[in-house]
Amino acid sequence: MYRHDGEDVFVIDAHVHDWDASEENIIHEGGEQFIQCFHDYHTAFTPEERQWDMDEYRKYSDERMVRDLFRDGHADMAIFQPTALSEFYEHGFNTVEDNATLTDEYPGRFVLNGRFDSREGEDGLEELERQKEVHDITGVKLYTAEWRGDSKGWRLDSKDSFEYLEKCSELGITNIHAHKGPTIRPLNRDAFDVRDIDDAATSFPELNFIVEHVGFPRFDDFAHIGAEETNVYGGISVVAPMAHARPRKFGEIMGELLFWVGEDNLLFGSDYALWEPEWVVEAVMEAELTSEQRDEFGVELTHDVKKKIIGENAAELYDIDIEERKQELADDEITAEFDLEDQYSGATAD
Amino acid sequence: MATTAQPSVETIRTRLARVDDPELDESIVDLDYIESLTINESEVTVTLVLPTAWCSPAFAWMMATGARDELESLPRVTTATIRLEDHMHQEEINRGVNERLEFEEVFEDADDDIEAVRRTLAEKVRMSRQYRAIGALREAGLEDDQVVELTRDAIDLGDEDEAGADSDTVVVYLADGAFGVSVPAEPIIEYLQKATEVDIVTQPTDRVFATAEADPIAPEELDRIQHRARLTGATVTGQGTICEGLNRARNL
Repeated sequence: MYRHDGEDVFVIDAHVHDWDASEENIIHEGGEQFIQCFHDYHTAFTPEERQWDMDEYRKYSDERMVRDLFRDGHADMAIFQPTALSEFYEHGFNTVEDNATLTDEYPGRFVLNGRFDSREGEDGLEELERQKEVHDITGVKLYTAEWRGDSKGWRLDSKDSFEYLEKCSELGITNIHAHKGPTIRPLNRDAFDVRDIDDAATSFPELNFIVEHVGFPRFDDFAHIGAEETNVYGGISVVAPMAHARPRKFGEIMGELLFWVGEDNLLFGSDYALWEPEWVVEAVMEAELTSEQRDEFGVELTHDVKKKIIGENAAELYDIDIEERKQELADDEITAEFDLEDQYSGATAD
Repeated sequence: MATTAQPSVETIRTRLARVDDPELDESIVDLDYIESLTINESEVTVTLVLPTAWCSPAFAWMMATGARDELESLPRVTTATIRLEDHMHQEEINRGVNERLEFEEVFEDADDDIEAVRRTLAEKVRMSRQYRAIGALREAGLEDDQVVELTRDAIDLGDEDEAGADSDTVVVYLADGAFGVSVPAEPIIEYLQKATEVDIVTQPTDRVFATAEADPIAPEELDRIQHRARLTGATVTGQGTICEGLNRARNL
């Protein structure tokens, strides 16, 4: 939890990974470029003394991850967003099954999301059913820029994709997280496109669509869709670390997001291990809009608004009762290991 | 032909500064994309490195051809060779740009023609500059109907040949020229430059401002149009922040 304004704030890091970009796992030059690019993002916005070297960045231990999130990172819970990238990495980059190791070990702490790729046909639909059956997933992470054979990507508003979304709806997989940020599919005009979310969100009002990285570099297209569709959300990873490195720019982007998308539809994510939640949570929770920004946008980034973004909105989407969960976490393994009893003591008192 | 001195690095850099990153509305020189310059008499080689290896090939193409064409328009340059490095499509782009092929010949699978991409980006840049220009006019006291009806001939940029061309303000004439209002020059001049480039303002009697679809703006729409344009600006500068961070990281 994060102590802010005299209150313990429940933190859900809604975007984390447990990846393997070790040299042994890379089978295509795209895999090396991919992790190098991640590391560039990492160093671009991480305070110098907190930067990881490349070796550590390729592959980190489960122990480190749990420490970085729950001991140091203020997070009470975290949501895994898998990324297969199986054309680049022999055993995948950040797979559902890898993520499941940690979620099985600490079930109260993690939410495990699944994945699908609409180009995988019947097999993919069966795989989605398997993920539901084995892991009881309620969300998926989609990576529309992923390569598959000759294809350099797919769209959410395609006929094939709609079949998968129907399956999600049928299985009760309601949270559809789509990566809409820098892509590796540069030729197609859809490369940076978030506009496929629009039709998908209108056609499946029972599903929630979380646009990760708020669509950058097509932030404006995302904001317009978010303004129109109540079931479209913004995941603020990539924007969040700017609260530390570029506070004014962070304020401006948050001003736009609150103006267009609204305080109930924004989710915090560190994008771990892109960035560590410790300093990102601190920077976001301590961030303030300047008085010009408040006048300009007519919005406020208050304590209550930040509470929603840092945890409550994700809890709502994933049906997590925060008070109940605090009681559960008060005597779990992580709390015992890292001496976190104090922060949950309010929860166990009654 | 008499041999003259080869062009100086300064001349080359000044000319390259005319080439903008089409997405960020900032010059490739200010953005530090120029990795190195080699000048060998009238032949110039420029090495370009962009913030990400995955930067859209269309954008990379625009910068590479822009740099080539600007340099070759210098009298002392006969050939400009562009070397794009650390880009996933560097081979195709370098071959295409230096062999003077069309984008569509090099990237047969590309869905968009390069001119359409260029036009879309230029329009975004116009909107974000319009936001600042209109903000400056409102700040100077213009009413919304005066802003939307403003025509090009009502703006006096000063005599550009005179010393006054460096003036910090321009004069905007209202009520058929009955009186003038002084407005900060920079946002107005930057806006007019782009509005002229995308053919919004070509005649003296043209309205200066327009919607993203190039339609005239009704006064009651102005707030909404400004909100949209502000968002466009936040998109351009937000992406600029990301790219600038990445560029710094890549050059560590």
